[in-house]
Amino acid sequence: MAPMLLYRGAEADILMGRWQGMRAIYKVRKPLAYRLPVLDDAIRRQRTLREAEMIRQAKQAGVPSPYIYDVDVPRSTLVMEYVEGERLKDEAASMGEDEARQVFREFGTDVARLHSAGIVHGDLTTANVVRRKGALVFIDFGLSFRTTRLEDQAVDLRLIKETLVGAHPAVSKLALEALLKGYSEVAGATRSRAVQRQLRGIERRGRYARVT
Amino acid sequence: MSRYILGVESTAHTFSVSIVSSEGKILSNAKSVYKPPEGSGIHPFEASLSHLASAAPVLSEATGASGVGMRDISAVAYAKGPGLGPCLRVGAVVARTVASSLGVPLVPVNHAVGHIELGCMLTGVRDPVVLLVSGGHTMIIAYAGGRWRILGESLDLTLGQLLDQFGRHHGLASPCGRAIEEAAAGSSSYLRLPYSVKGNDVSFSGLLTASKKLLDAGKSFSDVSYSIQETAFAMVTEVTERALAFTGKREVIIVGGVAANRRLSRMMSTMSARHSARLAAAPLEYSGDCGAQIAWTGWLAYKSGVSVPVAESEVTQSWRLDSVDIAWRN
Repeated sequence: MAPMLLYRGAEADILMGRWQGMRAIYKVRKPLAYRLPVLDDAIRRQRTLREAEMIRQAKQAGVPSPYIYDVDVPRSTLVMEYVEGERLKDEAASMGEDEARQVFREFGTDVARLHSAGIVHGDLTTANVVRRKGALVFIDFGLSFRTTRLEDQAVDLRLIKETLVGAHPAVSKLALEALLKGYSEVAGATRSRAVQRQLRGIERRGRYARVT
Repeated sequence: MSRYILGVESTAHTFSVSIVSSEGKILSNAKSVYKPPEGSGIHPFEASLSHLASAAPVLSEATGASGVGMRDISAVAYAKGPGLGPCLRVGAVVARTVASSLGVPLVPVNHAVGHIELGCMLTGVRDPVVLLVSGGHTMIIAYAGGRWRILGESLDLTLGQLLDQFGRHHGLASPCGRAIEEAAAGSSSYLRLPYSVKGNDVSFSGLLTASKKLLDAGKSFSDVSYSIQETAFAMVTEVTERALAFTGKREVIIVGGVAANRRLSRMMSTMSARHSARLAAAPLEYSGDCGAQIAWTGWLAYKSGVSVPVAESEVTQSWRLDSVDIAWRN
């Protein structure tokens, strides 16, 4: 069966197919025609390899993420486990307050686990977290990299905040509080405060920022 | 019956006055642009002096060319911010004076909202992902829940600042975008530069430093201009594409001074086509700073009940786009 296009993302096509008899996701980084080929090839190759490695490391840190079945560098393709469930992006609006609090707290503990293991996800939007039988599964590690710098971790949190405020304004306040609570539980209060301080610093660097 | 709004823009280089009708007809759009000396950037105080000198002639030109009598003006809009303090104050003084002498309401307008709303009106797009790229802003924006929301932005320099500071390093005067675009057109040899996309955000500071170093190392201005454009524009196109995929919107619009760059609009058009989205760009005359963006947005705000007493009208250098309630879009 030829893989079927599920979703055309910004940097990759997501197809569903089979691999060794199992349901599988094919993540294909197709050449982007707007980008110069020499630049585009280097970016796609680097992101494909790095994504496979970062997913492996995330699992090691105890953060649920898909199993990698195959890495095809010349075709910039990753073949991985199909994660059953709904994207947090599609569920955030319809959640009750208690449910949202619990889900975003778990989100926060998982992010702190990644950070404590020296990983930043690099693309922490609600589109990249799938709810599977109650547990959150983190997908799309395409912009992930290894770092323990406060600044990088704060940028990671900044994107969640930006996504919540920008795309889910109705639940953003509650979700952020819960997320930071979960984050502190794993990272510790001191580290959590330091990351949040750094986050405010980043926001002040932004243009015309009024920090909230 | 048509209503007429007079708008005053003076956030940075440009002092401009425009008269726009309630049907969205731009009846005049007079402007004067402050030009700094070669190799330097905008000096806020010098720019404000230039605006002061231009204020009366630009105002007369705008009212004269519009064919509308001053007594037919229903309201006066001014750019309250964000922008350079001394420059903003000149526009505010002019607007307050005109509004008080005519006895009509004064309407504060956010400059960034002005770029977006004018672009939408002129191109007919309704609900776009917006790429706002200028000397003051680099943001990816979409409307949701009563406000224009920022989905991504530059974490340090704006795209306009990147190009200007690079151009100035070569001895040009701001704005340098045009000269860089022309120099880039003469090259096809790409020099490797840092490509920094962090989630939905971009960072240009490393790119600026690396580009300056290439110039210092004797690489040609043409080759480095080509490479900086290819790198920086691909970065903003990538984050715009991410916002487009994330929001599922069907329209994209580029606004702000850097919208004039043809290479950027080609990249954005290729990207939009991949998502079957329509790409629009405001006509060149109206993509950069101009009175019409303030007058038109002033009309939208005024008809939704926004105005401010002269005694309480102020300017603010920092007035972030996503803190402005957009009453007319629901």
